[in-house]
Amino acid sequence: MNLLRKAFNFFSALLLYILFFYFVMVRSLDKGVDYAVYYEYRKVIFNGWLTTISISLMALILALLVGLILYWMSISHFGVLRYLQEIHKMIIFGTPLVVIAIVAYYYIGHAFNIRSKFWVGVITLALYIGAYIADIYKGAVESIHINQWQTAKMFGFTKVQTYRYVVFPQVLMTILPPLAGQFALTIKGSALLSYMSTDEFLNTIKTVQAASFRYSEGFIIVTLGYLLLTIPLILLVRYLEKRMNYKVAK
Amino acid sequence: MNLELKHLTKKYQDKTVLDDITLKLENIQILALLGASGSGKSTLLRLIAGLEPFQGGDIIVNNNAMRTSPLDQFRKNVGFVFQDHNLFSHLSIMENILLVLEKVHKRKRADVIKPVSELLERFGLIEHAHKLPHQISGGQSQRASIVRALAIQPELILLDEPTSSLDPVLTYEVLSAIKQLAEDQKDFIIVTHEIGFAKSVADYIVFMENGKIVEHGYRSILDQPQSAELKRFLDKVLTFIPT
Repeated sequence: MNLLRKAFNFFSALLLYILFFYFVMVRSLDKGVDYAVYYEYRKVIFNGWLTTISISLMALILALLVGLILYWMSISHFGVLRYLQEIHKMIIFGTPLVVIAIVAYYYIGHAFNIRSKFWVGVITLALYIGAYIADIYKGAVESIHINQWQTAKMFGFTKVQTYRYVVFPQVLMTILPPLAGQFALTIKGSALLSYMSTDEFLNTIKTVQAASFRYSEGFIIVTLGYLLLTIPLILLVRYLEKRMNYKVAK
Repeated sequence: MNLELKHLTKKYQDKTVLDDITLKLENIQILALLGASGSGKSTLLRLIAGLEPFQGGDIIVNNNAMRTSPLDQFRKNVGFVFQDHNLFSHLSIMENILLVLEKVHKRKRADVIKPVSELLERFGLIEHAHKLPHQISGGQSQRASIVRALAIQPELILLDEPTSSLDPVLTYEVLSAIKQLAEDQKDFIIVTHEIGFAKSVADYIVFMENGKIVEHGYRSILDQPQSAELKRFLDKVLTFIPT
């Protein structure tokens, strides 16, 4: 019964939401929808969608590494390294991704002779997301209670063993939900790489829009395309958070 | 156990926490450290465990002088039970014990599973062996922590106020487990506020105040305290206990 009521409430809410957008579309569209051109270019669009996934995946993997390096720098004994990561994080946190994307593409990409738009995109996103991930690592390691370190020391674990068997498994549990969240952010962030005319999802749609003058259809497809990727991730974050909160609360 | 403290001094920045402590004990099985909060008893226990450095003097446990023996080697022969159970929160009770044996003491899992299971059985934990620490009660966690300390077959077990965060029922449960250690002829040092327990189990009592040992002796000193400080302490602690 409870499930039935839940389902009823959910679908009513969904219907209301769709009705609102339908109203907006009907009021603002002067001609009916026609997906013929998009159907014709479906392969190119699908490839763009796949490119978005691979850019995001590669960027996330690289960002995990960038985050780790930044985290190590932040706990380093060398002041220069500590300040370097601090400055990098300040700049990243304080600048819109689109500005970083443009600077990276026109200047840094050229300076280092990286001609592949794909890789400039991946590196830019990784440096951006990596700054946030460094803070996720830091928070997770700091959340390990001092008792756990002390117990490991007391029982004679070496430093490497302590990290490997005590700290790392606990950190992994804590960072999974925010990391899934960062992946959703990376996917959304990758749309900004269309400014570099990378052949990702948004840029592919924009190209078809420009050629066909059928803009509304393009926006609907692009929205659905991103939601298809991000909604499962958002649900995953919720699930992981719930599981973790349960463990912490007990 | 034989325990010797020679002019032991410990400071945190400018604050002297242990002030030139000297004590020599031979053939003691159970030593209880008593004193008000801030008297230095927990610090002394942590120094004996080799958990913290000290500024002056030396600690000699069973003829091993701490100044000259490698600390990590020293710690491997000591089992420690913390105020809070301090079990590794991501591992089951069984894995908590096995991890230490496998990784630190290089024992084979197949060889230790049986003795560890027997210990868990004796301490009434076998049905909880595969639960995570957050899935069992505070008393059970603390008993698991005692089993973990015991499993490494240490020369000496140190217990730092093992019941301070437990309610009376769980306290009783844990004290019974510690009593079992005594019956097994294990050597241990316990920091506790449970005077009744110290009186019934400990061989030797050390009473501390302001970083110094004020009075020490066999457990009868709790019935006939000599120093004004211990008298005052016992008066306060025992105020609400009917005689």
